Amino acid sequence: MRARLHPLTALTGAACTAVVTTAAASWVFSVAVTLAVAVLAARAGVARQVLPAAAVILAPLCVSLLVLHGLFFPEGQTALASWGPARVTAEGLRFALELATRTAACVLALLLFSFTVSVPDLVSALAERKLPPQFVFVLASTLALLPAIAGRLVRIRQAQEARGLVLRGGLLSRLGAVRLQMVPLVLGLIEDAGSRAQALDARGFGGGAPRTSYREVPDPPAQRWFRAAALLAAAGAVVIRLALSWPPGVQP
Amino acid sequence: MSQPSLTLPAAGQAAGRGRRLLEIAGAAAIAGTYIFLVLTQPADIANGPASFSALVALGGFLLGAVLLILAVLPVLPTSTLVLMPVALVLNVVLGQLMGTTGLPFYFDAIGTVLIAVLAGPAAGAATGALSSIVWSFFNPTVLPFAAGAALIGFLAGLAARGGQFRRFYLAPVAGFGTGILAGVVSAPIAAFVFGGTSGLGTGAIVSAFRAMGDSLFAAITKQALISDPMDKAIVFAIAALLAYALPRRATFAFPFVRRFGVLAGKAPGTPKA
Amino acid sequence: MTGPALRARIGSFTFHGDTVPVLRDIELAPAAGTLTAVLGGSGSGKTTLGKLLGGWLQAGPGGSLSGGLELGPTRLLFRGGPDDPRINPAAWSGRVAYVPQDAATMLSTVRSTVAEELAFGLENRGVPREDMRREVARTAALTGLTALLDRDPATLSGGELRRLALGCAVITGPEVLVLDEPLASLDSGGAVLIQDLVRELLGAGTAVVLLSQTADGLARAASHWIVLDRGVATAGGPPEELEGSSELEQAGVVLPDRPGAGEGTGRAVRRSGSGTPGAPVLELHSLAYGYGHARKPSAVPREQVLRDLELAVHAGEIVAVTGANGAGKSTLLRHVNGLLRPGAGEVRVCGRNIAGSPTGLVAASVGLLFQHPREQLFERTVLREVSFGLRGLFGTDAADRAQAALAAVGLSGFADAHPGELPSSAQRLLALATVLAREPAVLALDEPTVGLDRHGLELLRRAVEATAERGAAVVMVTHDLGYARATAHRVLELSGGRLREA
Repeated sequence: MRARLHPLTALTGAACTAVVTTAAASWVFSVAVTLAVAVLAARAGVARQVLPAAAVILAPLCVSLLVLHGLFFPEGQTALASWGPARVTAEGLRFALELATRTAACVLALLLFSFTVSVPDLVSALAERKLPPQFVFVLASTLALLPAIAGRLVRIRQAQEARGLVLRGGLLSRLGAVRLQMVPLVLGLIEDAGSRAQALDARGFGGGAPRTSYREVPDPPAQRWFRAAALLAAAGAVVIRLALSWPPGVQP
Repeated sequence: MSQPSLTLPAAGQAAGRGRRLLEIAGAAAIAGTYIFLVLTQPADIANGPASFSALVALGGFLLGAVLLILAVLPVLPTSTLVLMPVALVLNVVLGQLMGTTGLPFYFDAIGTVLIAVLAGPAAGAATGALSSIVWSFFNPTVLPFAAGAALIGFLAGLAARGGQFRRFYLAPVAGFGTGILAGVVSAPIAAFVFGGTSGLGTGAIVSAFRAMGDSLFAAITKQALISDPMDKAIVFAIAALLAYALPRRATFAFPFVRRFGVLAGKAPGTPKA
Repeated sequence: MTGPALRARIGSFTFHGDTVPVLRDIELAPAAGTLTAVLGGSGSGKTTLGKLLGGWLQAGPGGSLSGGLELGPTRLLFRGGPDDPRINPAAWSGRVAYVPQDAATMLSTVRSTVAEELAFGLENRGVPREDMRREVARTAALTGLTALLDRDPATLSGGELRRLALGCAVITGPEVLVLDEPLASLDSGGAVLIQDLVRELLGAGTAVVLLSQTADGLARAASHWIVLDRGVATAGGPPEELEGSSELEQAGVVLPDRPGAGEGTGRAVRRSGSGTPGAPVLELHSLAYGYGHARKPSAVPREQVLRDLELAVHAGEIVAVTGANGAGKSTLLRHVNGLLRPGAGEVRVCGRNIAGSPTGLVAASVGLLFQHPREQLFERTVLREVSFGLRGLFGTDAADRAQAALAAVGLSGFADAHPGELPSSAQRLLALATVLAREPAVLALDEPTVGLDRHGLELLRRAVEATAERGAAVVMVTHDLGYARATAHRVLELSGGRLREA
């Protein structure tokens, strides 16, 4: 087992991968990145979570791209088939392929980061980098609240069924049920937030004093060097792309 | 360790200038990026994906969103800050709850609009941008839309300040207008970064415009002008419903609501004027 | 001991937008190492007082205060105007700490272990890491959390959570500690731990202020009592003087020694009228339930919570079920209206097996009151809340039924209020009214006494008895054995998945 990655190293790696892939604009490169990320996910033991999550996001996008550009691509020259206004062109298919693979590579890289990172480590690393503590709070608190919400909704629904609320199939009745569930949910969350604000202030959160961190996240020098190199590579890729395809007629 | 003072210094307006500059820089980055993208949009996308435009759109819009967050977050009172996770969770969960009704809308800005109504345009903008950033933890494809989400929160706050939530029928009107602007700003992201839309229904509308010979950017902008205003009109109406369903003591606890008379009716307990 | 640690004089405190002050004429001067108890019923303003003392609610942003606060050499004078001093909550709460009744609100929600949660207040104050380690270890030892330091705070039990909240408050070494209902809904084991902790803090010289609506053992250990009645301190003095005083009675404070606050007539009505009990209204036959049934019926249930359970409740009968935390009391109650479906056996209501009927329909004959009433309420006004769904049951009679149910729980005067604005005890009574209004054949109550003061308990007892007299069967689950004995005809204990006479 390798030494644990510092969360910022993982984040930098994922973000730079996405930037370089976007700058490269080559479906071969994108496919290579996608496969590499999938292998990494399998080795990290999270392939079973990352791949389905990515599929849910990417499947509708890919279908939409294929239909849109595969059938309607007025810029296309090489028509392969046509039905009425719809025209399948080689350029359109290629365009759909380019964009689908590029998006897939970026989504997979970023999801691999989210599914492997330890949120407490990330929170603590961000806080040590002097990010506004408010940002760190919103990030961590949302991630903590989300799973709790499902349980809360179940309890609300049960409490309401016990009062004689019957969920029927009709659209209007279902909309009405959603409204009845939303009110106690939102109200409860906002009330809790009010007392939480008082508690946070009492525990010194609102004060502007410099903070310290209890949790220690080791950051070996090798990982710092890796982050610097990755950032340089991403910056280089962006500069090259901008220089190569700077649109004519616009002076830099 | 010396004992810190038990009291705070009298309220001052120091350090407001730097924040204001950051806010303006953020807004300028978003507006500038949009104008640049429209001026330099590739005439012929057949040569390959618009990598250049994608990088500019991503960089400019994300920079703008981050600047806005940095400008607004540190000065928000804790009572507003703790509402943001609630708003973010609502954006996600209510969007999914609505999804179970089978209606063809996204409803992923209800929390943002609710915060904007209770705490003002700055808080709304920061909530929108943060919402995209935090949500991208589960769905990275929403990250590039951070600037559009910030704009929705900002405009909702302006509408609330202008009294659009005092009459129930005005809220959807404000939402419609917000949807137009937000759709226009988000269109380059959909066009240059993703090359289309993720929904099948919206994809069909884009296809129709493409079949008529529009450029991809134009087709997606037109599609956004059809779907987004409808969606935002409904979202604003739902946020208004929620705001009025909350106890008055809870809503009137927000200084923004009291100061600008955002919601109809009197503050609880105030004597008749 | 030299003088009081904190001296608070509250002439009046009014929330923004309110015209009537919530607190008036209260003086408090707890000395180091002493325990002061503020006793009052629900809605008496105890929590507002505690938050005001502990810097959670600040004069100015939170409301308008006229009075004075004195802590050490610092004297703050408030007139309710814009020139008033503004309290720095971080500095103030480090020295006067408040612990809320709902311990979960004390937590930051952004720390993943108990140790980090304890350290949160120190991090914000910029304490170096080495000092934090030492303080966390010391506080954990004090609160008995040492073994739990690496646990996720979200997985703690109610008692552990309460001790964590206490630890978060005392880690800054406050001179004054304000505890809001520290023993509420704890079982006896959990309560003993908190009482020991308070004793230790008192020994270390902390001034402790206890806010409670029950004159329990902890309150009796206090050297000074203050009785709070609708925001006004009506009496003050040593416990011996105030016990049995009319002020204490008036304020709605629960006196555990006298459970039958309105002399329990419960046993008197035992199946009166009907000489021979008819067929039972509610029957549970050889009921079995284990978590894991619902999703994978074929799988062997991991844990059998209920097994071969038999229960029959006749018309007009009140049955109380007690048992230790985690014995499955709430699980049992959820079978009565079909929220949970038995793994084996059957549930019969009025002779009909409810298997196959959705909960929403069973609800016409079974009314269930939940532990957390807030989740059961969703309407804009109290009256709309009670009227929900009545028209379908009673037609034009609905409005009268709603008013009658509100009157039964003493909320007639609040018909137009928003349910969310009521104090939690009134929310519980309102939820009870929504159930009563439907006149169910079976009334099932989950921990109905929690958070109710003496007046509330009296209303609850009367409502339960009226329901039984009307001919309904009542099942209640409670950890309050005294209340169960005083109200119910039969008290059963749930243990090992079965019921037996207690």
